[in-house]
Amino acid sequence: MQVWTKLFAKSPFKPLIKHAEVVVQTVETLEKALDLWAQGNYEEMKKYAIEVDRLEDVADRIKMELRNSVTSKLLMPVQRTDILEYLHMQDKVADAAEDTAKWLLVKKEINVPQEVKDLILKMGRESIKAAKLVYEAIRQMDTVVESGFSDAEIEKEYEIIKQIEDVESKIDGLDTKLMELVLNNNLSWADGLYILNIARTLSNISDKAKDAAERIRIMMNK
Amino acid sequence: MIADPWVFFTIILGLAMAWAIGANDAANSMSTAVGAGAITPKQAVLIAGVLEFTGAYFFGKSVTETIRKGIIDPSRINDPNVLIYGSIAALLGATIWLIIATKYGLPVSTTHSIIGGIVGYGIVYAGTSIVNWSKMAKVVMSWILSPIVGAIFAFLVFKALSKTVLQSKNPIKSAKRWSPFWIGLAFVVIGTMFYIKVLHGKSLVIGFLKFGIPTGVVTFVITSLILRVRFPNVDPYLGAEAIFKRVQVMTSGYVALAHGANDVANAIGPVAAVYTIATMGMAGAKVPVPRWILALGGLGIAIGVATYGYRVMETVGKKITELTNTRGFTIDFSAATVVLIASWLGMPISTTHTVVGAVIGVGLARGIKAINKDIVKDIVISWFVTVPTAGIISAVIFKVLMLIVG
Repeated sequence: MQVWTKLFAKSPFKPLIKHAEVVVQTVETLEKALDLWAQGNYEEMKKYAIEVDRLEDVADRIKMELRNSVTSKLLMPVQRTDILEYLHMQDKVADAAEDTAKWLLVKKEINVPQEVKDLILKMGRESIKAAKLVYEAIRQMDTVVESGFSDAEIEKEYEIIKQIEDVESKIDGLDTKLMELVLNNNLSWADGLYILNIARTLSNISDKAKDAAERIRIMMNK
Repeated sequence: MIADPWVFFTIILGLAMAWAIGANDAANSMSTAVGAGAITPKQAVLIAGVLEFTGAYFFGKSVTETIRKGIIDPSRINDPNVLIYGSIAALLGATIWLIIATKYGLPVSTTHSIIGGIVGYGIVYAGTSIVNWSKMAKVVMSWILSPIVGAIFAFLVFKALSKTVLQSKNPIKSAKRWSPFWIGLAFVVIGTMFYIKVLHGKSLVIGFLKFGIPTGVVTFVITSLILRVRFPNVDPYLGAEAIFKRVQVMTSGYVALAHGANDVANAIGPVAAVYTIATMGMAGAKVPVPRWILALGGLGIAIGVATYGYRVMETVGKKITELTNTRGFTIDFSAATVVLIASWLGMPISTTHTVVGAVIGVGLARGIKAINKDIVKDIVISWFVTVPTAGIISAVIFKVLMLIVG
């Protein structure tokens, strides 16, 4: 083995981007499951919900590998702890999607107004936006490093972070609206508990996306 | 006279050492270019092979003299056999250490290895007083100074290069404006270095004025013109990389030429010593090195590059994906400049050590995505081990040779 190949360790950014890709897939699959759920197609929906679970496993494995390789042995342009914290948050996005999928699976028959379903679908669509923005943010971070931390590229990164924060606050608004709707609609406690948990886990997706974005912000200042 | 078994034996050893230099060092000098994707491993082998030989054959003469008599005082050795066995021991010691280092992929200095070998047998023969200790102190200094100065310089160059080219509001426009400047500057260094290191000129000012400035200006003008007509108007970073990619081919080619000119001496200095003594006795110590010995050294290096260096470069090409052309350029440019300034100040500085330092410097400037600190530690340890290890192996071989044949 030659020393140059060992001196340059593997960049942590490529696997981070790969991980983000899987996270986007997980959330996209969840969105399909939500659509089928809203249509009342439980059997089809089950397949997608199980796929969400599988994808979350894939993300977990990449996370483990990354954690083992981003050791204190590396000299990196960003802090190691920031990378690990970021990874943790990015992985939580997939975890939240899996939680939603789990809730979808525990109840076959539901009896909620269309209004509530529509709101849930809307939250699902916004969650995809959040996940995709996280993917964009980590790719942009790679470009920031590539440019030698150029102000213009850092500016672009801030722009993406801001968009993630916007999506998060939008989902927060939807979440509150849904809570009102559920509690004032005289749903059965079981349906209410069920829907509120789906809403909670969905808004978790964007919450964690926002936390991840926060970490990227920290990565840029040294 | 080649019929003399000792001469024949030293020539074989010299070839082996030259091979080890080609396998270890030459590959190191081209690694940044191959790693950054500026040239393919095949091209690197071809460029390195041809230019190393050219450097060794045409420009390798005067350094060889230093290796022959600079490290230990040859006037203290009266028995010609001692010089012959000693040279053999030194060559073997250095070669064995180099082969071990190459096997573990450690970029050690071939110059330091042969110095270790010579010091090793010198001390066994005449005690520590035979060694030119002020020269040795300079060698030790270079272990410490080369990487540190290389790192600081590369840090500054990368900061400046990224400020001017990578970080501007309009990278394409600034790349067009600034790249010729940086490339021209690199060629000022290359031109001056050519005068000092390859032609072995003494005055930095003359080299700078007669070689450096003209080369730099010509390159600046040509690059500006080419960039005005055609610039890869793609992604701004890819565009900048594309410019520096072509320049890297030339900088690495230059490194190979200079390396051949300087390091061939490590392999054939002892061979030349043995040859002249075997043919002309102790009086021959003053006779200049015959050309064909230089050719032999050059050939040995070229074979080393082709046989082992090829494999090295192939792995480098496949594995270093993190090194971009601007980074590779920064490393080459910094190492070359630091070595130039050091030679001017009369400090022996190791190119290999400076390159490693430069890589770390770019890393500290947040330019490289990840550097393995453990490997850095291994490399630095291997530098401190080089002279003693080569020395001890050489000393043991010398002792054995004296017991058996002497």
